[in-house]
Amino acid sequence: QAVGMSIAYLFSFLGLLLAYYSYKKKRGEKKE
Amino acid sequence: MVHFAFLDWFWVIAFIILMTVCGILFYKLGKRSMADFFLAGRGLPWWLPATSVYATHTATDTPIWVSGVVYQYGLRGLWYTFFSAWCAISAFASTRIFRRSLAYTQAEWQTLRFSGLGAELLRGWIAGWQVFMNMFVLGWVGMAMGKLCNYLFGWPQWVALVLFSTICAVYVLAAGYWGVVMSDFQQGVIAFLVIVIVSFWGISVAGGPHGIVSKLGAMGQSWRLNPFAFSGLTGGDFPLVWFLTMLVIAVIGGFGMGTSIDWYPEAQRIQSAKTVRDASYSIWSGTALIVIRNSIWAVAILGFFVLYPNIQETAQYEMAWYRIGFEYLPVGMVGLFFAAIVAIHLSTISAHLNLGASYATRDLYHHYFKPKATEKELVWVGRVSTLILLIGSFIYGSMMKEITQWLIFALWIMAAGIWLPSILQVVWWRFNSWGYLSSWIANLGLSWLVVWVLPEFRLIPDLPDYLQFWIMMVLGALIYLPITFLTKPEDMDRLVKYYVMSRPLGWWKPVRLEAERRGLVVPEAGAAKGGN
Repeated sequence: QAVGMSIAYLFSFLGLLLAYYSYKKKRGEKKE
Repeated sequence: MVHFAFLDWFWVIAFIILMTVCGILFYKLGKRSMADFFLAGRGLPWWLPATSVYATHTATDTPIWVSGVVYQYGLRGLWYTFFSAWCAISAFASTRIFRRSLAYTQAEWQTLRFSGLGAELLRGWIAGWQVFMNMFVLGWVGMAMGKLCNYLFGWPQWVALVLFSTICAVYVLAAGYWGVVMSDFQQGVIAFLVIVIVSFWGISVAGGPHGIVSKLGAMGQSWRLNPFAFSGLTGGDFPLVWFLTMLVIAVIGGFGMGTSIDWYPEAQRIQSAKTVRDASYSIWSGTALIVIRNSIWAVAILGFFVLYPNIQETAQYEMAWYRIGFEYLPVGMVGLFFAAIVAIHLSTISAHLNLGASYATRDLYHHYFKPKATEKELVWVGRVSTLILLIGSFIYGSMMKEITQWLIFALWIMAAGIWLPSILQVVWWRFNSWGYLSSWIANLGLSWLVVWVLPEFRLIPDLPDYLQFWIMMVLGALIYLPITFLTKPEDMDRLVKYYVMSRPLGWWKPVRLEAERRGLVVPEAGAAKGGN
């Protein structure tokens, strides 16, 4: 008694990666 | 198996049509903008989000687990349900702060309270987690309905999961949160009335309150009437320290945001209220209804215990409240009872379909993919997200027939591990985004260690859940507090803007003084507490 938590974290990490690359892209556009 | 007469099916079908049409009627309001599709334009009087709080937190599995704890522990089992009391504190603390911030979602709030890369990472983190969580809740609640209909009619479990979630999706897709909250109102009223009728029916069958008390006395089971019948300070099945831990989690948790997984649907209802005062009243009164509901259920379940005192299997006695309705109500009333169960079910499904879609639309699509999207486009993205969540919930539901209880505990311990940092982010100006993000990540590693690795290798004994909570809280603080102090405070411009907008409680003095210096708030004595 599996205690599932890592699966929930996997989704959080995907959201975090999306946020990171979006932030980097915005910073790159500002510098140009 | 339960036999339904024509009158029973009439009630069920009439109520389903009533609930669905009521939701669809608000189609024109829901499609006006993203704020309408997810927050009903932030214009609701307090009693609408209040009934929505109550209806959302009354699901088909709720009477199952309340029956389980009350049948097993007597009235002290009600303390398992008392964690919702965090809302009574939150109504006058974090609810007001969150409503003033004007954040659509908790993920968006992170970027108002924090700044820079850390804030963005937190927003993506919480949005990703919430998309998962809502899909998970939809699957878990959908399967509870599947099991119930299998018990009642012998249907395969997937039938009720797919059938009722799809009916619900019709009005959620059409009208968004307008459909959710308006249907919740009538579903909440129907559910509350039927819960009272069925429970009082059960109490009457068991001999009335006096009959139940005297029969419990004759059975030598009077301890079941004492909600404070603890088994000792730390030993036994109901220790005092467990009770005190639960009280601390509930009462202090009301000062934070995200201290319980229930915060996220509550946050949507808070933001949909038309004023800060309406938000406070809605959260307080919605939770009061939940606590009253639990108390009514508990007496009926004690009545069931008097009628059937020797049930050993958990899966059997967990059906106590449902059995009262289906075994003792007359023909015609049984259909009304099932219609109320459908109402209970649809209100929970609709809330999580719309809430998950709000994170996918507002935080992932609008914020990260297409900031210049039109309102019309965002409403359509909301609808597509709702559909994806619906299909995802079918996949989840069919996967988790056996592991549900463990997953629920996993999510409980996940919320417990970030309980203190979720409070610190609200009440302490110096707590920064890196501290909060590290607390989430540390929580995963610590849970692996405390819950599985160390007990598995006999390095520590198997610990009760309240001890796991305190140990993880201390170990987590040893990680995120040094990280907070080793990294810079949040940008003062951001903190001042947030302070002026949200007026947080707690330790905000340096930010308040800066806001006063800039002439943004009127100086007043003793409004915010000391510095660090």
